[in-house]
Amino acid sequence: MSSKKKTTHEEPAKITGKVYDFCAKKKLIVIVAVCVVLALIVGIVIRGVNLAIEFEGGTMLTYSYVGDLDTNAVGNEAENIVGVPVSVRTGESLDSDGYQITLSFTSEEGLNADRQFELTEALTTAFPDNQLELFDSNDVSPASGREFLLKCLLAMIVAAVLIIIYIAIRFSKIGGWSAGICSIFALCHDLVAALAASILFGFEFNANIVAVILTILGYSINNTIVIYDRIRENRTLFPKASLNELINMGCTQSLKRSIRTSITTIGTMIIVSIVVLASGYTSLLSFSVPLIFGLISGTYSSLFVAPVTWSWWKGNEKKKSKN
Amino acid sequence: MKKKTRKSTFFIVVAFIVLFTVSTVTGLDYLYGDNTTTVIKGVNDIRLGIDIKGGVDVTFAPADDYDATDEQLDAAASKIKTRLAALGINDNEIYSDNKSDRIIVRFPWQAGESEYDAEEAVKELGEMAELTFRKGTDSETDDDGNTVPTGEIVLTGDDVDKAGYTQQPDSNGNLEWVVTLKLTNGEGGGTEKFAAATAELNGTSTPISIWMDNTMISYPTVNSVITTGEAVITGNFTEESSKALADQINSGALPFKMVTTSFKTISSTMGEGSLDAILLAAYIAFALIAVYMVVLYRLPGFVAVIALIGQIAGTLAAITGWFGFMPGSTLTIPGIAGIILSIGMGVDANIITGERIKEEIRSGKSLDSAIRIAYKRAFSAILDGNITNVIIAIILMGAFGVPSSFFSQILNKTVFFMFGATTEGVVYSFGFTLLVGVVCNFIFGVFAAQLMVKSLSRFKAFQNRKLYGGDTK
Repeated sequence: MSSKKKTTHEEPAKITGKVYDFCAKKKLIVIVAVCVVLALIVGIVIRGVNLAIEFEGGTMLTYSYVGDLDTNAVGNEAENIVGVPVSVRTGESLDSDGYQITLSFTSEEGLNADRQFELTEALTTAFPDNQLELFDSNDVSPASGREFLLKCLLAMIVAAVLIIIYIAIRFSKIGGWSAGICSIFALCHDLVAALAASILFGFEFNANIVAVILTILGYSINNTIVIYDRIRENRTLFPKASLNELINMGCTQSLKRSIRTSITTIGTMIIVSIVVLASGYTSLLSFSVPLIFGLISGTYSSLFVAPVTWSWWKGNEKKKSKN
Repeated sequence: MKKKTRKSTFFIVVAFIVLFTVSTVTGLDYLYGDNTTTVIKGVNDIRLGIDIKGGVDVTFAPADDYDATDEQLDAAASKIKTRLAALGINDNEIYSDNKSDRIIVRFPWQAGESEYDAEEAVKELGEMAELTFRKGTDSETDDDGNTVPTGEIVLTGDDVDKAGYTQQPDSNGNLEWVVTLKLTNGEGGGTEKFAAATAELNGTSTPISIWMDNTMISYPTVNSVITTGEAVITGNFTEESSKALADQINSGALPFKMVTTSFKTISSTMGEGSLDAILLAAYIAFALIAVYMVVLYRLPGFVAVIALIGQIAGTLAAITGWFGFMPGSTLTIPGIAGIILSIGMGVDANIITGERIKEEIRSGKSLDSAIRIAYKRAFSAILDGNITNVIIAIILMGAFGVPSSFFSQILNKTVFFMFGATTEGVVYSFGFTLLVGVVCNFIFGVFAAQLMVKSLSRFKAFQNRKLYGGDTK
């Protein structure tokens, strides 16, 4: 860990060969990154996030059944009991030859177990030939759904703040605070990309998306840190080099590693997507597909967005201090 | 300082990883007589979360915004536990959250019990189940339209020492199911109270009514004074319903009725199918990554594959509870995502060092110093990247852990003070596997891999620089 020079023999290899100029179009990259993030956020707001009931609160009951079932009659029967409009959806069952019917509705206090029991009893009595059987159920009161969402948000904010502090301390040699904040900006870039992809594909915002967000949180920051680490090391090796030169060298040295690591992670998620599609358990697609987009964005943002935004920030700081 | 890694080190490390992996996967149990004693749990014993195995996840809160004390809530949680045991559900998790007056209950489907009626079970769990014997059958209708008994209370469930169920002949000589009660003895006990009440009502037309919460079960008239402390409840029971009532009485009444604020049942077919799909994808992905690493990095790549196997085994071992000092955990789908992320970090660590070794070798250093410098230099990047993931994992474990867990104790009282403990165990599972995976990454991906590469590089056969990605020299 110590970076003290012992003998020249112990020094790590210095960069040889061509150094790519990552900082050439600094302004352009920053503007594009900001525009992309803003455009995606606007897109997300316009299209609207389709919150799953674990966040929004509400009730969703799925029953398996056989034979023909009058879905309108089921809906009416259910509405009589729960007292709010019920939306009804049917589908084929995964496990057997039967079918499934899904009732969903949102009510102020949710459907507690007593009333759910009542509803199931009433439906099985009203439609005795269809052998209705509860398959899945999910009931969340709007209050606890909101609380979960808020707690997720707070957890992410706390994690982000701690990461900025950690980076600021560990990378104090190369101006840690700004580096930390830029790494969080790159992270937002990736999160927004994954969220936008999930909305584009019509997935609802559910526990899988939470897992995607958490995974990207870890992956994106790690990617950025590996590059910062190279910049920090180059600072010791080339004390006279400008920040732009250090960033260009660091990114060039890390390029191969970034691409190779990304091939394994993105490849794994592509394999997951294909297997899941082939086997029919498509509920996992809402995990693997947004993650692929987040990972692609993460590879790009760690090489361009984080270091370049940071260099632009530092450049502006210098200009200001000169004035 | 220049102490060289021995040649034998490689074999010791590999033997350790192989033993560790095999014992983690197969577990260790022995047969003594007819009993199998499990010393180490294998992969097949992993507790799967209800999102994989299917099951019930329910949160109870006191009905009508009743403000429960901590003692009442804990008492209620232990009563619910007893009731679950009476239903034969022993594999369950129950947490009481004193801050927001909630009780969280989770249980997976019992093996082979797909027909289980979860709705009925959960409904029964939240019932107050307060047994009362009352003078007369008087009742009134409260504001909500419920029938509420008003007769003077003779006995409550607390006066019952033990309830049972049996068959006895009814007035026509047919066998019927009944619930038998053995009342408590001693000063002010059930036996004494019941004797006094039966003496008072003996020969009158006023019956003693027996209520379970707001439902009247029966109302026998008193024909004799009962001083033996034994009573029988009749009332059109079947074997199941008499057992259920006896179980309810034995597990005692909740201090208040509890209703569900969230209630989730998940069928088993859905989850198991997706687990198979994930496992298949994992095998394919791992095989491809192994080939990829060996092709790109040759000898260090081969070592990386061994290290990755160790890392995966380490994560699984933590989940099964292989390490005696820490309890196992439940594996959920986000937990699998955590494993994927930590394996990704492990692959990344090996790619970083693999690239470094190449760079150093190509700059013309000796094999020894190239390997040494590469590991030393790569470490700071791996350290910082992994520590940030540790931060994330700890925050998640704190925010979404069960109320009694270590990180949750700290964080829920400080950062998340305005929130109650949450019901989302799935996010906790992600934090757990990520944290364990990152720790294993340091042990296997950094430490063990380094030992193996250094040790192998001492063999003449492995000193060809090409094996480390060097140029043709």
